[in-house]
Amino acid sequence: MTKESPQKKTMKKLIKAIWVLNWFNSCGFAELIPVVASRWDMERFGMIVVGNPRHADVLFIAGYQTLKSIKRAQRIYEQMPEPRVVIALGSCTMTGGMYWDSYNTIKRLEDYLPVTMYIPGCPPRPEAVFEACAKIFKHVEEME
Amino acid sequence: MELETIGKNEYELFFGPAHPGSGNFSVKLKIDGERIVSARVYPGYLHRGFEKLMEYRLPIQNAVLSDRICILEALAWNLIHAEAVEELMGVEIPERAKYIRVIMAELSRIQSHLIWYGVLSIGTGFDTGFKLAFGYRDFILDLFELITGGRVYPAGYICPGGVRRDPPDTAKEKILNVLDKIEEMIDFERAENPLHLARLKDIGVLKLEDAIKLGATGPVIRASGLKTDVRKEEPYEVYDNFDFEIPVRKEGDAYARFQIGLEEMEQSVSIIRQALKRLPEGDFIDKKFSKPKLNMKIPEGEVYIRNEIARGEAGIYMVSDGDTKPYRVKIRGPSFLHLIPVLEFLLKGAQIADVPAIYWSLNGCPADLDR
Amino acid sequence: MIEKEIIDKIKKKFKVEGSIQRERRVIVKTAPDKLVELCKFIKDLGFEHLSSLSVTDWPKRGIYEHTYHAWSYKDKILITIKTEINRDKPEIDSVYLVWGESAQIHEREMHELFGVEYKGNPDLSPLFLEEWHEKPPFRKDFDWREYVRKNFYDKENERERVYFEEV
Repeated sequence: MTKESPQKKTMKKLIKAIWVLNWFNSCGFAELIPVVASRWDMERFGMIVVGNPRHADVLFIAGYQTLKSIKRAQRIYEQMPEPRVVIALGSCTMTGGMYWDSYNTIKRLEDYLPVTMYIPGCPPRPEAVFEACAKIFKHVEEME
Repeated sequence: MELETIGKNEYELFFGPAHPGSGNFSVKLKIDGERIVSARVYPGYLHRGFEKLMEYRLPIQNAVLSDRICILEALAWNLIHAEAVEELMGVEIPERAKYIRVIMAELSRIQSHLIWYGVLSIGTGFDTGFKLAFGYRDFILDLFELITGGRVYPAGYICPGGVRRDPPDTAKEKILNVLDKIEEMIDFERAENPLHLARLKDIGVLKLEDAIKLGATGPVIRASGLKTDVRKEEPYEVYDNFDFEIPVRKEGDAYARFQIGLEEMEQSVSIIRQALKRLPEGDFIDKKFSKPKLNMKIPEGEVYIRNEIARGEAGIYMVSDGDTKPYRVKIRGPSFLHLIPVLEFLLKGAQIADVPAIYWSLNGCPADLDR
Repeated sequence: MIEKEIIDKIKKKFKVEGSIQRERRVIVKTAPDKLVELCKFIKDLGFEHLSSLSVTDWPKRGIYEHTYHAWSYKDKILITIKTEINRDKPEIDSVYLVWGESAQIHEREMHELFGVEYKGNPDLSPLFLEEWHEKPPFRKDFDWREYVRKNFYDKENERERVYFEEV
């Protein structure tokens, strides 16, 4: 039985709350807002939505991205302090999805940003987003 | 090196797409002190080229794609696309299907107005309204899941020829329960809130002549004094069988638009109750479409259909040259006119703190602007 | 019938082809040089609301067909005006002076997507696309599936091989 390093112990104490920056495109907007609002409340788990990338830990990329909006998302990612996690939500973000033959949407998110987790669905249900949030906590613990 | 002089106190401010006060939409403002001198809109963050995507797909595939034009009212766009294909093919759909379509369209309108109330409240600082509105909206999304199978995207439920499947037997009672809950929410909204009065009264006034010249439709022009509604002027489906009123106001400011949204919700509840009483028995889809063949040709011709969706007047122009796929589809969305000419006009002379109130009171959806 | 009266009034002043498609729908075809006068005339008849403006590309006939849809709040009729211009050098007069800002924004979109020059429109800068140097995207000779396969997908990639099979 290995002993836990002292760093891991302090990390477990510090990870009580994660601050999230949401980058909604259209499809994410209508299905992520109930996650923040009354029925499935994200605040119970310690996650709130912040408006400034410099305060955020997690970046949710929800919905299909176009060439114009992915440049802005990259700038936001550069402003986030380490450690930072990117989550891709929805099938149109990951593989092009329903707009696979459109000239203006991007088809592979990993060419632009380093993605940690994928949540499939069109759009994914709030319960799926919750399961992803639970996995983030575990992932951040294992990162050290 | 040349320096651009724009005035002693003027500077430019960019309300970008990641700002919590706007959607996927950016506005560049030229400001002098606290007042806005001019505004310019930079849309295009959501452009997919929808109209040409529809040219590569059959009508039965387009029925699934059409609900993604604007996520906030997916069933309404489903309906307008189905009407266009049916008129080109010359098909008459059964009565029961028409009543079911009207019920789904009105539920979608109520759900969209609840979102409008929620984001308008959070834009002016009233957080409770936001939480309540999205809480009540979830009852309607559960109804959608029971009848169509999806919470926000109904997967082409309203397809050319009728509707995809019959609602289950428990649906009628559940709809009546949900309508009672929505009436509770309307009573809450009707209470005069001093916060809303202070932040929305006499802000963003739009007079009638300007509104017609700038192309405003729907709740925006009804708040400026013109009594018009596509459901009464050109009735489509079975709207001529129902008894409902059109709310009109004269002031044209943000508070008037907000009140009209509230009154339209009441009228929608009344229409759904009348439709549930008169729902006839029968088929829910035309026989030719219940098992669609992949090589069904659309006869040659063109058609322009207008519908009244929650945000204003929606239009679709479809041209066919006799092939199985449409030749050209043009989608006219209400937000295209509300968010570019009307917003630039209203922001001239306003204060910076009023920008979210003006923007959210116009109820625009950036997705149906860019398509 | 109101639809017939409107067509007769227009035919008295202009040489056009008019037809009634169904209840509340009137279609009028005209030549491009008479377009702005005809639009001013019907605006005075009561068609104050420009509902939409669109361009259809017919490569076999070598034309771009313009359609203008205007609605009258007074008589409750929709009129559709159609004109045809050359496809290789598309130029037409703008209707900004007739219907104002609502026409100007539609023309700006059509300029970007089809490449039509509108004479008299004060602002034709790009609306949706940034740094787009190829031909206008909605023309019929710009095949999207070819473009996407060349620029975005990789045939060697296991996940993307399916996009190279024709349906």
